[in-house]
Amino acid sequence: MSRFWALLKVLLINYLGVSTSQIKAKKNRIKYVKKIALGIAVVGALAPTIYLYAWLLIRGFDLLAPIGQERAILTLGLVMVSSIIFFFGVFYIINFFYFASDAQNLLALPLRAWEVLGARFAVILGYEYLTELPFLLPPLLIYGVKSGAPFVYWIYALIGYLLAPLLPLGLAAIPTVVIMRFANLSRRKDLFRILGSLVVISLAVAYQFVFQKAGPNAMDPAFIQNLLSDRNGLMNIISRVFPSTRYLGLALANADGLIGLLQLLQFAGLSFLAVALAWLVGEKLYFQGLVGSSETTARRKALKSSDYQRMSKGTSPLLSYLFKEVRLLLRTPPYFINCVLTNLLVPVLLVVPFLIQSSNQEGIMPWESLVANPKGQIILMTAITGLVMFLAGSNAISATSLSREGKEFFISKYIPLSYSKQILAKLLSAYIFGVLGAVLLILAARILIPLTISTILLLLLVSMLAMAPVIEAGLLIDIIRPKQEWGNEQQAVKQNLNVVFSMLFAVLLGGAILYTVIRFIHSPIMAVGFMLLCFALAALVLYYFLMTWGIKQYEMLEG
Amino acid sequence: MIEITSVSKSYNRGTVKAVDGVSLSIQDGEIFGFLGPNGAGKTTLIKMITGILNADEGSININGKDIRRDPLGAKMQFGFVPDDPNIFARLTGIEYLNFMADIYQVSSEIRLPRMQELLNRYEMANTVGDQIQSYSHGMKQKIVVIGALLHNPPVWILDEPMTGLDPRSSFDLKEMMREHADAGNTVFFSTHVLDVAEKICDRLAIINKGKVIFCGSMEEIRAHAKENQSLENLFLELTENE
Repeated sequence: MSRFWALLKVLLINYLGVSTSQIKAKKNRIKYVKKIALGIAVVGALAPTIYLYAWLLIRGFDLLAPIGQERAILTLGLVMVSSIIFFFGVFYIINFFYFASDAQNLLALPLRAWEVLGARFAVILGYEYLTELPFLLPPLLIYGVKSGAPFVYWIYALIGYLLAPLLPLGLAAIPTVVIMRFANLSRRKDLFRILGSLVVISLAVAYQFVFQKAGPNAMDPAFIQNLLSDRNGLMNIISRVFPSTRYLGLALANADGLIGLLQLLQFAGLSFLAVALAWLVGEKLYFQGLVGSSETTARRKALKSSDYQRMSKGTSPLLSYLFKEVRLLLRTPPYFINCVLTNLLVPVLLVVPFLIQSSNQEGIMPWESLVANPKGQIILMTAITGLVMFLAGSNAISATSLSREGKEFFISKYIPLSYSKQILAKLLSAYIFGVLGAVLLILAARILIPLTISTILLLLLVSMLAMAPVIEAGLLIDIIRPKQEWGNEQQAVKQNLNVVFSMLFAVLLGGAILYTVIRFIHSPIMAVGFMLLCFALAALVLYYFLMTWGIKQYEMLEG
Repeated sequence: MIEITSVSKSYNRGTVKAVDGVSLSIQDGEIFGFLGPNGAGKTTLIKMITGILNADEGSININGKDIRRDPLGAKMQFGFVPDDPNIFARLTGIEYLNFMADIYQVSSEIRLPRMQELLNRYEMANTVGDQIQSYSHGMKQKIVVIGALLHNPPVWILDEPMTGLDPRSSFDLKEMMREHADAGNTVFFSTHVLDVAEKICDRLAIINKGKVIFCGSMEEIRAHAKENQSLENLFLELTENE
């Protein structure tokens, strides 16, 4: 077996837990059954969202078919999946290429850079095939069935499905490998790797917006005329965000002719070109970015007595434990990127596209009119609160607080600090970053929408209470099933289903309360009162649950 | 004083018995060595004494405080050095020590002189401002030892404490263990190196496959080993490990 395949096999077993010999062993079967059941449960929980997406696609197809633009739904799915893979690919690649400790250990083996990079790239590709499922499968199926596509279409669809992540992943890998090469030059490696990641993520965001902005004004009548007269008009517009997707969209739409085959080959060529380029850049730069990246600088200088005095003032055990949590979150690159940065990035990501759009077009944004009437105000407030809750559920701070401790969890078990205080400190650390995210989000909303000071204050109040049950539920989930068996830090936060569960909880709780508000309450003050009451109740119930049952579970956990 | 009464722990739903009905009594004023080959159950027992693992059966008292019924009281009684010193890699040494001092509620008047004394003794004063991840294995071991001793605990529990220490630090630690025991305190430590145990222990216990097969002084063990085939074999194995 070549070294590349040997490495790939080991990585697949290690990261995806896929091993035929392990499945054959009887004692492992229950573990796999549990894994599969968990997967089905997650899909089941996502089912309503997928159903809604499929429904929208079917409606879209029916609406677009009379004007001959139905093939645009294919491009929509492709563009969406490519953008998601590209954006999250940047995170995956930073984590998986550079922050995984086993990547460092591979440096000691007689492997070429492209072999290591290629094998790790392939593992990420495995994850991306799963990511693709909910986004790409529905449009492929719906278009195929509804348009009565020929048999070749289904073959092309399968090939397209397999090819689709290659280009965005390749595009994500190239700048990451280049920037990380230079981030590794610095003596303060942790800091520079975080900064390097920030640069790559900013580039990814900028790329998307540049393509979004480029192109004609959608309100121009001549443009619309032109759009409708061309069967691929809408497809071309949508694919502007990710131009390569146009070829696959066309290949699928023209599957019955030779032209479709050529377009598929074009898409395949582009995809493989991107991967080849990424591997080529990797061969030149990857190891240079990785070598010594775990080194840390040490001053090896004695502290002055004033330093000792300043640093050894002493604080309460609870606060000390909280500071420890915050320091580790800020200083550990995978935790910073996946937990802290998401909090700060989402508000920015939400504002920038609208700012660009509003600078592109004259006139007011649709929601600006909402501020004027009470119902509109309620909708705005619930929408912002919902976002704050989603952010708190998805930032992975509380839902991975025990998981992140990993092998060090034994320390929490032997120190004389009660489990209730440890739980409280973990809640507080998540709360601090949650509040930071909420404040930024509300500020971002203020940039787009002329909110009054009193609305902003009310929003702050509601948000701070709304995130509490989400954070508590996240911690509870992590106490029930902490993922402490990991080889490197990124696995604790990136490949942790607890984050998905916490996100789902946020969606369900937020969805139920906010839906009730929008549906049944007509005065903004009443809405605020109802939300405060509901979230406070949920927070209290969960807090009580954490401090009784949660502590018992914590006691049962072993380090 | 540590009282361990009929403690058992098994894994895999009772199929693997890691510790099997162990009873030990470690008196004040003695250094007690806990000896056994790799995988004998040493670390499992130590983890149960310190509250990291829950015993399936039996009870453990540290200076009269039960680790299950009064965990915080019991935990305040001891300082613990784990077998793996890889802790909080991204905190600086001084941050770690202050964290431990805060948790054990060491007042700022006491902690500063104590910290400086231990740092100087272990030659760590020049490195304490750096992140722990920049330390060598031995330096990590030293900072963990200092962190465990900051609150001057009456009971010391050390799991393979000499591993990774340079000869000078190892000598210093042994000397401190002696001083601590001579002051009427308890030192409990595990090792798989017979030589270390022989030199500093007042009494020791040998554990194999989860069971304590002998407990007594070194002389008693030697005498007993001549009569008991399995103890003699184990003894030989331990000697070969040196």
